[in-house]
This record gives sequence, structure tokens and C-alpha cells, in this order.
Amino acid sequence: MLENAWLIPLFPLLSFLLLIFLGNQWREKSSFVGIGFTGISFVLSVIVLFVQMTNGSGGAEAAWLTIGSIEFRVGVVVNPLNALMLVIVSLVSFLVHIYSKSYMHDDARITTFYSYLGLFTFAMLALVISPNLLQLYIFWELVGVGSFLLIGFYFYKEEAKAAAKKAFIMTRIGDIGLLIGMILLFWQVGSLEFNEIFTAVRDGEVAEGLLTLIAILIFIGAVGKSGQFPLHTWLPDAMEGPTPVSALIHAATMVAAGVYLVATLFPVFESSPAAMTVVAVTGGFTAIFAATIGLVQKDIKRVLAYSTVSQLGYMMMALGAAGYVAGVFHLMTHAFFKALLFLAAGSVIHAVHTQNIEKMGGLWKKMRITGPVFLIGTLAISGVPLFSGFFSKDEILLATWYDGRYGLFTLGLIAAFFTAFYMFRLFFMVFTGDSRSTVTEVQESPRSMTYPMITLAVLAIFSGYINTPWFGTFLGDWLIGDSEFLPFEHHEGPVWIMLAASLIAFAGIGLAYLIYYKKSLQRDFLTSHMPNTYTLVFNKYFIDEFYQYTIEYGARAVSYLGSFIEKYIVEVIVAAVTGVVKSVGSLGSRLQSGQVQTYGAVAFVGLAILVFLVVWTGGYL
Amino acid sequence: MDWLTILIFSPLIGILLLSLLQAEQKVTISLTGILATVLPLLLSLVVYAQFHGGGDLAISHQWISFGNGLFQINYELGIDGFSLLLLLLATIVSALSASVAAAQIKQGLKAFFLWFLILEIGMLGVFTAENLILFFIFFEITLVPMFFLIGRWGFVEREKAAYSFLIYNGLGSAVLLILFAAIFAKTGTTNIEELKTIMGSGDAVSEEFRFGSLLALLIAFGVKLPIVPLHTWMVRVHVHAPIAVVMIHAGILLKIGAYGLINFGIGIFGDQFAKVAPFMAVLGLVNLLYGAFLAFVQNELKSVFAYSSVSHMGIVLLGVAAMNEAGIQGAIFQTLSHGLIAALLFLLVGVIYERTHTTKLRSLGGLAKGMPLAAGFFLAAGMASLGLPGMSGFVSEFMAFLGLFESMPWLAAIGTLGIIMTAVYILRAVLGVTYGKTVKSFAGMYDLTRREMIPAAALLALIVLIGIYPNFITHTLQFALESIMLGIGG
Repeated sequence: MLENAWLIPLFPLLSFLLLIFLGNQWREKSSFVGIGFTGISFVLSVIVLFVQMTNGSGGAEAAWLTIGSIEFRVGVVVNPLNALMLVIVSLVSFLVHIYSKSYMHDDARITTFYSYLGLFTFAMLALVISPNLLQLYIFWELVGVGSFLLIGFYFYKEEAKAAAKKAFIMTRIGDIGLLIGMILLFWQVGSLEFNEIFTAVRDGEVAEGLLTLIAILIFIGAVGKSGQFPLHTWLPDAMEGPTPVSALIHAATMVAAGVYLVATLFPVFESSPAAMTVVAVTGGFTAIFAATIGLVQKDIKRVLAYSTVSQLGYMMMALGAAGYVAGVFHLMTHAFFKALLFLAAGSVIHAVHTQNIEKMGGLWKKMRITGPVFLIGTLAISGVPLFSGFFSKDEILLATWYDGRYGLFTLGLIAAFFTAFYMFRLFFMVFTGDSRSTVTEVQESPRSMTYPMITLAVLAIFSGYINTPWFGTFLGDWLIGDSEFLPFEHHEGPVWIMLAASLIAFAGIGLAYLIYYKKSLQRDFLTSHMPNTYTLVFNKYFIDEFYQYTIEYGARAVSYLGSFIEKYIVEVIVAAVTGVVKSVGSLGSRLQSGQVQTYGAVAFVGLAILVFLVVWTGGYL
Repeated sequence: MDWLTILIFSPLIGILLLSLLQAEQKVTISLTGILATVLPLLLSLVVYAQFHGGGDLAISHQWISFGNGLFQINYELGIDGFSLLLLLLATIVSALSASVAAAQIKQGLKAFFLWFLILEIGMLGVFTAENLILFFIFFEITLVPMFFLIGRWGFVEREKAAYSFLIYNGLGSAVLLILFAAIFAKTGTTNIEELKTIMGSGDAVSEEFRFGSLLALLIAFGVKLPIVPLHTWMVRVHVHAPIAVVMIHAGILLKIGAYGLINFGIGIFGDQFAKVAPFMAVLGLVNLLYGAFLAFVQNELKSVFAYSSVSHMGIVLLGVAAMNEAGIQGAIFQTLSHGLIAALLFLLVGVIYERTHTTKLRSLGGLAKGMPLAAGFFLAAGMASLGLPGMSGFVSEFMAFLGLFESMPWLAAIGTLGIIMTAVYILRAVLGVTYGKTVKSFAGMYDLTRREMIPAAALLALIVLIGIYPNFITHTLQFALESIMLGIGG
């Protein structure tokens, strides 16, 4: 049964191929193709999940590339982690497909849009079921292309073009790390199959220093894909893509692929304490760093984008602190509530035709579904008790505490405070107060948009209950299962952590309430009292500018140096060579003087030389 | 049946028919020209089938003999997996570029096709010749038609480009001729198989002679590949030759360099090659990075892809220099893959030029609006060129780097910078032309016609086919690779 799991990515691929080759006249009907095929994928994913739960893991493989005695393979594998990912990806993709039907229906290129969605979904699902690192890498790049195409969907906008290019190049920088790590690993292990890698690592076949290097290189790939510092700058710009794309790719699935990669290769990372520290610190730093930027942004999607970067940082921090279950758990809950938030934001943008939160306000009464579901998402991400994010964030804090990383634990708590604050800032500015919108007739979105949001809202509330300290750690037990490579871990941490996390969430919410709802505190505290800090944070710490002046101009300088060499050194040599050939040519033509005596003399000398040579070499020539 | 001879000289039928036609009968000439390239294509498929059916294709006839039988030059043809794939590449790209030429060449079509078909004979001969003299003759046959094709039908600076083509390649082939004569004088044979044994055994000729020969080979084929700094002629040809000829040039002729390096360089002088491998790797790295950085600042589409070719040929050098199975297979894959990708890219550049009459990056932008299909193909070709998985370029780059990381990890690590730069310059060029605001609107803009679509789709299909199932070719390459590895003691 599980060997047929390749059917799951096949259907979105079919959707892509059908739409790209035959769909040019289908317009809005294309959405049915996309919805139908991803729907099938979702159903199959659920079946695979149940089969995995009852019968255990399985898969199948076939030869792909043979190099002498080396063989690389392709195939499928289903284990708890990727069965869960299959369901998350296919579900969110399915909902986004439905949502896009109305969201994109005015767009003349809706067929193209759906075909790209199909391509992305295919690649993402195939990535998830990869049984080896090479196949994972292949689809890792292909999801990048899907993302690139969708960010640049409005190709005629300069910003979209720039954002797509940036996303591709920034993630490719990370991918090179992954590529090098993968190749080094191959020459150590002799295979890229996950199981063989884990066995070799467990048996200590790879020297620790090298293992650390490999793990960190692979992690660089994850840093690029998951928008971690310092390769995070592409993700906020990626918001140039249509909002459903932001929900699917840049919140729920692709950007989580980096986290998934680290989770999948967890046994490799775990064998290197140094690499684990790198992962944890990068994650923790990104979590708080991105959260601070989120505090001051004015574009609803940018706030959510920085929030995504920050939350992905949380997941990385969890994994680095050996919190395997915590990281994966938060990946899942985040996929639901962040997709929800983006879709709800899309609904808002759809209604008021702006992304600037300064121009929104008072939408609660006008959008009776979008408002409440956005609130649910906000509560979930803020870590308010009883919502999904509360349980998963608690698990992460617990893991860092238990791992003895108290500094990171503190950072995590502060970031949680910021998260609650900026999310409620967003909520209050968009949904409460007086309308600052130029659009007078605000309407709730159609049902094909609200139903997917409602589904996600339900999940944002309840998905946390599959792994709680109160009702059992079902998810954790199942994920670790009887895997021979994952250590069993379950921490009964101190109860005060949970309490502290809740209090901090409420504190953040309270502060946002006082500033943006009650307006009893001054809004422009930061701008008036610490203008420099504000400028720094508002401009995202000037990292883009820094890259522009160092890397971009650096590359340009090298290129101009190359042009200089080409022009003044290589071409000069060329001219010299050409000159020599030409002068030999003209010398030759001068010899053609037409004087028979000269010809005769030359012929005689030549003959003499030949005779001499024959005699000298003994007839051997 | 002597299929190889039939294949090589099959374009003669087209030449014969064309010479019977009047220059005014344009439609008939186009049709004949295209069909004349389809014939070798079909024959090469027959050869492919024969090869895999286990048929013996090699032939040898006594040809020239002198010095009382001491020196003999035979007419010897034969193929292995590598040359078979190059033959297929040559016949496929020739047929496709003939169809492009039929649409784009406005005058002197008959003469164009005559030269074109002679060129094809030369190319087919180069990849099948089993002895050095024969190889040299076919090699020379490719030069003359190219000179006229560039010089007469090219763009503005066509004559300069044609001369610089002739001078460089002429020098290269002069070196080759001296080398072959020296080898012949020393060993009394020019048969490649025999030379492999003689040069491998170590007694017949001195080590210095072998190193000298290898050096001469590197120069001769280095011009062809091209290796920086011997590349300027090739950039000029890319920019100023007619599009159909550039497709042939980038797609096939440059591959003679790689073929020569692998088949003669490693094949005959394996031990010596192993010793200069680090040096080759450095050259490869220079090619890769120099080409990539220069491509990044070009202001003209064709020069971007010309430097891109320089950069991609660096991967061939790197793979070869790795001196292991993965690296060499990577180099071979890169040779084939780049042939297809370069042909596709230039085909599309031709399409763009046809509509806009410019290839200046500054004047182009937002073309995806007026020609979505062409833009889509262009983007796909760009993705193939930057090594996107699922397309042929990835497989070859992966193998080349896999191999190089085993033998020279530091160099390989620096080389990966080239992979990033490739993405940078390809996206700059491709997105610059197709995405963004429309810089200028061009009257009479139309999307790909069916006639342009067929060759573009065929090339893209092959690129994707190799990308998603590379074992499709490794099967053919297997024995060729094994014998190469045997030669370097692997």
C-alpha cells in the first residue's frame, strides 16, 4: 500500500501538466481541475496516514542515476514524520486551491496561477516522501521554482520581478550549502539513503569534526529555505506574490521545509553537539530578531511575514535544543494558524484593496467571518491558553529549558511577548476603531473563501490537543514510535513555564490593547523617544542595504574587473596573435614574387634538406 | 551494411539535390534543406539501434600506404557510447537548426544549405573517425563551411568574426596536424585504439613526448572548447554569426573540444592527464567563474549566453579533471546537456530578435506580455541552464561536482560559487527580457509560431527527459566510461 504513495504527488503534477498544456481557454474552470486533483491528493494522504498508523512505515525505490558502481535511487518512504507532513501540505494546498477560486477569479491568468500551484504542490509532496537526500534536494529546488514563479506571478510589476529574483538567489545560496553537505556526506557514507546515513552516523563511521561541518552545511540550506537569519531577507519581499500563495508557500509549507529537513536528518544533527548549538542559536536569534521587526511594520502581509520568520526560528530553536517533537508539533500548528492568518489577511485585502494597516480599521462589524477567524489565528499564534499555539510553544520552551539553554529560553519568552504584542496590534488596527479605509462598501468575502478559513480556524483551535501534558502526548509517542534512530524524549518540565508563557502572552496582548484599542498609552512612544532605534528596526536593521553594498556591489566589481582583463589583457594578446599570423601571411605572399629563379633556389634547398634528413636518420622519416 | 559511412555521407544526397535546384525556388530549397538533415537524423537512430542491438559498426579499409607499407593510413570508423550520443546530438541539432535557418535566412538560401550540409558531413565524421588523420580531415571540413556561414550570413561584424574564427581554429588545427604527424612518425600508426595501447605501455615513446603531445592536444582542443583565455573568437562568433549557425556552433562544434579532451586527452594519455589534472581543474575553475562574472555584466543577450557557454564548459573541465567516474560522466553529460540547452537558448534569442530587431538588454523588457509562450520557453531554457533539477543541466553539474569533491574538495567548494553566479546572471538576463515593465513596445509582436514551436519543444523535451531519467543515457555510456576508466587505471 505505502509503496503507492507516489500517487499523492502525481495528481498535482497532472493538474499542472493539464493546465499548462491544455488549459489556456479554461479560465475560471481551471480552478476545478486544481481543486479536484489536490482534493484527491488530500484524501490519499489521509489514507496513507491511517495505513502508516496501523501497519507501520514502508516505501519503494528504483534506480535513477548510475555512475559506474554508484547508484542513486528515487522512491517513496512513509514514516510518521512525513505522513504528517503529507496531510498538512495536501490539506493546506487543497484549502488554498479552493480559496483562490474567488480570490483570483478576476485575473486573466488564473489558469497559469493554478498550474503553478499544482507544480508547487507536486514538488512539495514529492519532497516530503523522499527516501534519500538527493531526491529531497531535487524537489527542494523545484519547490523553490514553484515559489519563484508564484512570487513573480504579477511579472509586469518591477517589485514582483525583483522579489522573485531575490527569493531564487537567496535560497540558492543556502542550497549550495546543502549541496556541498550532501556531497561530502556521500563520500563519507557511500550512499544518500536516509537509513544508511543514519546507520553510518550511529556507528560512528563519520569523524565528528567532519560531521559537524556537514551538518552545518546542510543547515545552511535550511536557513535559506526557512528564511532564517542571515538569509531571511527574501521572505518578506516574497509577499509580492498573490496572498493565497503567501499562505501556502511562504507560511505553511515550503518555508517549513527547512525545519522539515533538520527534523528528517535529526540523527545526523544530534550526533554533533556543535551543530545542534548552531541550529538552536540561529533559531533563537531569528525568533527574536524578526519579532522586533514585526513590531513596527505597516503592511499587513509584511507583519505576518516577519512573524513567520520568527516562528520558524522557534521551530529551529526547538530542534537545536533536541526538542524534535516540539519542533515538528509547532510546524504543524503554525501551518494551520499562519495559513489561516494569511487567508484572512487576503480576505481583508480583497475587501479594502490595500495592505497598509494605517488605512484599515473597524472591519470587525463588516466582516463577520473574517474578523473572528483572524482573532482565532491571532490567539493561537500569541500562545493564549487552550489554543493550538499555546501547547506547541510551551513544548518548545520546555525543550530549551530542559536542554539547559537558559539564555535561549529567555529569548523565547521575550519573543513570545513581542509576538502577542505585534499580532494584537495588527488585530486592533485592522478590525477595531474607526474605519480609515477609502473603500466605503466593505463586503465579506464569498463562501469559497470563508469556508477554507473556517476549516483552518477549527484546526487552529483544536490541533494542539493531540499533544498536551494534560490529555496525553499522542503526537510525540507516535512520531518517535519505535524508530531506531530517534531518542525517546518526553519532558515533564516545571509547571511555572506554562504559567509564565501564558502570563507573558497576556501581557503582550494587554499592552497592545492599551495602546491600540483603549489608546490610553501613546502610540508614538518609540518614534518620539527612540527615533534612532525606530529607524533601525523599521528599516529591518538595514540588512538589505548591507547586502547591496557588500555582496551585490562586490560581485559587480569582480565582474567589471573581469571585463577589464578581457578588454585590456586578453584582447591585446589576441591582437598580437592575429598580428603574427597576418605578418606570416604577408611574408608568404611576398615570397610569391613570380621569379622562377627564386622558386628554383628554394626548391633546391628544400630538396637538399630532405636528402640530408633521410641520410641522417637512416631512411626513417 | 556500413552504416557509419552511409550516415556520414548521407548529407551528400541533399547537396546533390540542392545543386539541381534554381536559387529562386525558395520553398523547395527550404524543404530539401530540412529533409536533407532529417535523413542523417533517421540514420543516426538506425545506428543507435544497431549499437544497442550489439551489432559491430566498426569498419576498416586500407586507404593510403607509403614507405613500403611501413606507414599505413586506413579508412577506419567506429563509435563508442560517447561518440554515439554526440552523433545523435549533431543530427538532432542540425535538423532543428536547419528548420530555423529556413525561416530566418532571407537570401542565398541555396548556398547556405550547401555549406550547412558540408558542415554536417564534417561534424559526423569527426565523431566517428577512428584514426587521427581521418579525424583531422573531418575536423578541417568543419572549418571552411563555418567560415563562409559566419562571414556571409552573419550580423554586423560578421567578417571580423569569421576571420577570428578561422585564425584561432586554423592555429588549433595546425597544432593538431603537427602533433598527429609527430605521433605518426614515432609510432607508425594513427589508429586510436592502437595508440591507446602504445601510449599506455610506456616503452615505445618517451615520457617527454607524451607530455608534449598532451600539451599540444590541450592547446588544440582548448581553443575549441574554449579554455580562457583562448575564448574571444568564440564570443565573437556567438554574437555575430546567424542564429542557426550559432545553434550548431554552441550546440555541436564546441563539443568537439570536449570530445577531443576526453577521447584523446584522457583516452590516449591517461597517465599524463592524471598528473596535469590539478592544473586542468584550475583552468576549469577559471572558465567557470570568469565566464559567469563576465556574463553578469554583459549588455547584450547573445554575449550573455556566449560567456555562459564559456562558464559551462568550465564544468566540463572540472569534471574531466576530477579523474573519476562521477566527474568524467558529469563532463560527458555536461557536453550533451549544454549542446541542447545552448541550442534552445539561441533559438529563442533568434525568436526575440525576429520580433524586436534588437538583443540589447536595455531595450528589452516585459516581453512575457506580448509573447507569453516564447517567454515561458525562455524561462525554462534559463532554468535548464542554471542547473535546475528535473533538467539535464542539474544532472551533469551534480556529477561533475560529486566527482570533483572526491578528488579536490577545496577547489570544488570554490567552484560552487559559480553555481550561484549562474543563477544570478541567467535570472538577470531572462527576467530582464521577459518580466518587468514593457520598455518599448514593438509593432507586429507575435508569439511562437508552430514552426518555431516544434524545434523549441523538441529540445526542451530532450532536456527534461535527461533531467528526469538520466539512466536513459548512462546505459549507452556504460562501456565507453569503463574503457576510459581502464585507461587511467581506475
